[in-house]
Amino acid sequence: MTLDRVVWSMLQEALGVYRDSPRATAWLRTHVERYTEPVRIAVAGRSRIGKSTVVNALVGDEFTPQNSFVWYRGGTEQRAHVFNGPGRPHEVGIGRRGSRNHVETGQFDRSDRIVVDWPARTLRDVVLIDTPSEATPEQVLGDADALLYLMRHVQDEDLRFLQSANDHPIARTAAVHTVAVLARADEIGAGRIDALSSAKQIARRYRRDPAVQPLCQNVVSIAGLLAVAAKTLREDEFAALRVLSSLGREELEDHLLSADRFAGDQFPLAMEPAVRQALLERFGIFGVRLITALIRQGFDSQVKLTGQLVQRSGLGELRDSIAVHFVERREVLKARSALLALDVLFRMEPRQNARKLVADLERVVASAHDFRELRLVAALQSGRTKLPAELQTEALRLVGAEGVAPLARLGFDYEADARELREALLDALLRWQAQAADVHATHAHRKAAQIVVRTCEGLLPQFS
Amino acid sequence: MAPPWLDVLDETIGACVTHRRPDLEARLREKRAQQLDPKLRVLVVGESKQGKSQLVNALLNAPVCAVGDDITTTVPTFVQHADTPSAALVRNASAGGSIFHTPTERIAVPIDQVTKQAAAQHVVRAEIGIPRALLDSGLVLIDTPGVGDTRSAHTASTFATLMQADAVLLVSDATGELTSAEMTLLKKVMEACPNVTVVVTKIDLVPSWRHVVERNRALLARAGIRAKLIPVSSALRLRAAKTGDQRLNSESGFPELVTCVQSDIVASADLLARRAVAVVASSAITQLVTPLREELTAHDSSRTVATISTLQEAQRRVDELRRRSARWQNVLNDEMADLISDVEYDLRDRTRKILREVDKTYDEADPAIGWDQFEQWLEDNLNEAATTNFAWLMERAEWVAAKVARNFPVYREDLIPGSVLPDDLLEPASKLEKPKIEPFSMPQKLFTGLRGSYGGVLMFGLVTSLAGMPLINVISLGAGALFGGKSILDESDQRLKRRQAAAKAAAQRHVDDFFMKFSKDVRDSGRHIQRSLRNHFSTLAEELQETLLESARSAKRAVQDDQTERERRMREGRKELDKLVTLYKRVQALGGPAMELTA
Repeated sequence: MTLDRVVWSMLQEALGVYRDSPRATAWLRTHVERYTEPVRIAVAGRSRIGKSTVVNALVGDEFTPQNSFVWYRGGTEQRAHVFNGPGRPHEVGIGRRGSRNHVETGQFDRSDRIVVDWPARTLRDVVLIDTPSEATPEQVLGDADALLYLMRHVQDEDLRFLQSANDHPIARTAAVHTVAVLARADEIGAGRIDALSSAKQIARRYRRDPAVQPLCQNVVSIAGLLAVAAKTLREDEFAALRVLSSLGREELEDHLLSADRFAGDQFPLAMEPAVRQALLERFGIFGVRLITALIRQGFDSQVKLTGQLVQRSGLGELRDSIAVHFVERREVLKARSALLALDVLFRMEPRQNARKLVADLERVVASAHDFRELRLVAALQSGRTKLPAELQTEALRLVGAEGVAPLARLGFDYEADARELREALLDALLRWQAQAADVHATHAHRKAAQIVVRTCEGLLPQFS
Repeated sequence: MAPPWLDVLDETIGACVTHRRPDLEARLREKRAQQLDPKLRVLVVGESKQGKSQLVNALLNAPVCAVGDDITTTVPTFVQHADTPSAALVRNASAGGSIFHTPTERIAVPIDQVTKQAAAQHVVRAEIGIPRALLDSGLVLIDTPGVGDTRSAHTASTFATLMQADAVLLVSDATGELTSAEMTLLKKVMEACPNVTVVVTKIDLVPSWRHVVERNRALLARAGIRAKLIPVSSALRLRAAKTGDQRLNSESGFPELVTCVQSDIVASADLLARRAVAVVASSAITQLVTPLREELTAHDSSRTVATISTLQEAQRRVDELRRRSARWQNVLNDEMADLISDVEYDLRDRTRKILREVDKTYDEADPAIGWDQFEQWLEDNLNEAATTNFAWLMERAEWVAAKVARNFPVYREDLIPGSVLPDDLLEPASKLEKPKIEPFSMPQKLFTGLRGSYGGVLMFGLVTSLAGMPLINVISLGAGALFGGKSILDESDQRLKRRQAAAKAAAQRHVDDFFMKFSKDVRDSGRHIQRSLRNHFSTLAEELQETLLESARSAKRAVQDDQTERERRMREGRKELDKLVTLYKRVQALGGPAMELTA
């Protein structure tokens, strides 16, 4: 039985055991419901780091920032609900403020969370949760299956947050839910044109940093403003930027030296200061620099430009990371959240007849080889763990990076018979056992080999 | 002429020496050397990636410090004036040693290699010299590694450098207002060096930098920090330097910063020195004053407490001795009275027993027969009674001595006297005088018989004469013989009785005599024993009391000595404290923060 099924049946069993406790039943019901939902990803970070900007970029629409938890769910129509304490949610309207969408929460001075249903492609696979910066790690992770943590440079404060996110024993055994994002990549490079590539390099360094490595699956960089711009670039803005790029390079650069200069009165073009100010607010000085440079380089249609911006801003990489690390692993992440929820329940309301479930939970957590496999995949793919090239491919395949069916794991592209499969498996097992016992290999190498061996051993009963 | 702060600092150092605080002294000496050094150290601190190195570069219009997008600066970099550009790395000669007091060596390197090589192990700092007018006055700009980085060694070296700073530029970029971590850092910096200027960098990048600056000013005001805040853009400044564009230069905000550095830091070096000295010296004086004040306020030093408790103990023991000696005297008197009465009673009891025996014997026996034996027996019995009685007296006397000794305040080996026996005891008592024994001789018997028979003959002769018989006849003669015999018997009985009474009286007298004599002896011995015991114990008590009094006296003397000593020390301490407070006021006058310090 797969992890997915095991956890599902555990949830159902728990519902039976706790049927007389309204609180436990409500708790379990929300988690049963959640189990079938898309992955919930919380976006967290310090204040003014650009959480809302990143969420906007991912959703592909701009929303005015709210001072509470905002959930973005996929839906067929645009709707918003405000959840305030117990009781039914209130539906509120979504208006527009300038170029942004605005959820009309004016009548509520406080809200537990705002849920926005929005038809967007990204939201088909995930639910995004924009969190207020003062939220504690517990609040942030209570409802989320996965975490995008935004930071500028990795500082002690950020590490503390990530550590407390991994503080629960079950969370520790399955630390597969975090992607760190170097937001404001444009500022990292002090607004230079090549800022983004240097931000990418820094992200790569952090991926191998021993202080950061165990706390997240991946580190990517993104220039939030640029990413939003890529998704929401309007016709008039594009026109204005084209006009700007028509200016001589030297002259434009001179006026792009500082924000003040760009929005100032002495500007060679007949362009309203208000327009320039708006451009500056939307794209930042770096965005204007980069976009005008790109237009000058020949990406002169809106489509071409948008593609370039998505790629350059790091939005593409972030999306890939979300797809690879969160969406594809939906089942594991959901199982993990459900196991955490069950653990909380068993601690809060211990019962005699729930003892079998507690034992089941312990067994699943202890033997959560799926989790370990996932961590190995992440480590190999991010280059944190290095194996010789041919071994790396095989290891990735065996631990299920290309599919979890035995055939896919063993690399057969045809229906092999059981004997053949068994031989291939034993062959792989012996080879990896030798790797695991290789005293000359690095520690990481042997660790990885041990996990692969465990996978092969797990497959073995199916062929004997 | 030496500046006024130097005098104050020297005096403070002197005070540290007097109060034996070499640690403070070393710190102040370091500060003194640093203040006398014409160089003026301006430390550039801030969190990582705020543009510290770029700020230094822009201030000097030269790429002296490497800048990069990732963590670049790893060691403090000292930039100072030199006629020709030069650079050197200073590193610990002994690898792995402690930061302090290890020999260092300087390695000259090309300027553009400084950052690359600084990443090597054991490099303590980098030193760069370039010819610049700004540095001409002895200004040294110190670029530091960012605070709050994950690699904490960088942070540590920044704080180590902080101690040497004359002024601090705290760098925060305009992309966000001051964070709580930065505010904490700022407060920490203020403690070590009060001359802080907050520089907001990267204003070229941020359209809303004016808003951020306003927010920062408000934050500083709310935290009660009086620090200047200057927004700058290093990028504009460097660009302006390249193109020689004066307008751009003024836009960059650097002219204001340079003016600030020149006027507030360089020109007012004396003020800065005074302020810095005030902070350091007042902190040192506060540290000196605290223990002094504690000593003054403490009621007794531990030594005085000890001597006073000795005195109290001695006095207590003298009192105890007095009380206990009254007790032992009472015990002695009571016990001896008991003893004498007991012994006397015992003696009386024994003699009475003897007398009763004598009475019983002479109720039957005739003293005329075996008097000698009786005398021997009586003597033996009396002797035995006396011996037993006396032995008992001795036993009791020893017991009394032990009891008194128990009630004596201290225990000593010679507490129980060796002998309490009077020497002249048991003089032989008077001889028993023989009672007068009259023997009943034959003529007496005859005479008595005849006198008795006379009546019988006459009585029966008269009766028989009536019957016509002669006066002397057989019957009257027979009756006469009978009567005579009876008279003899009666007489001899009488005599025996008399003899017995005489014997008893003699024995009684003798025993009385013996009792009189011996009870007197026993009393005497008792009194003798009592006296000798009393003498013995009082001598001991006197000796003891003398010892105790002596120790009490010496304790008292010690306390008095202590008192005077303490008073002397108090006076001195107060004088010292006054001196320190005066010094502190002078330090305050130099322009330090106003702190309350009273004696």
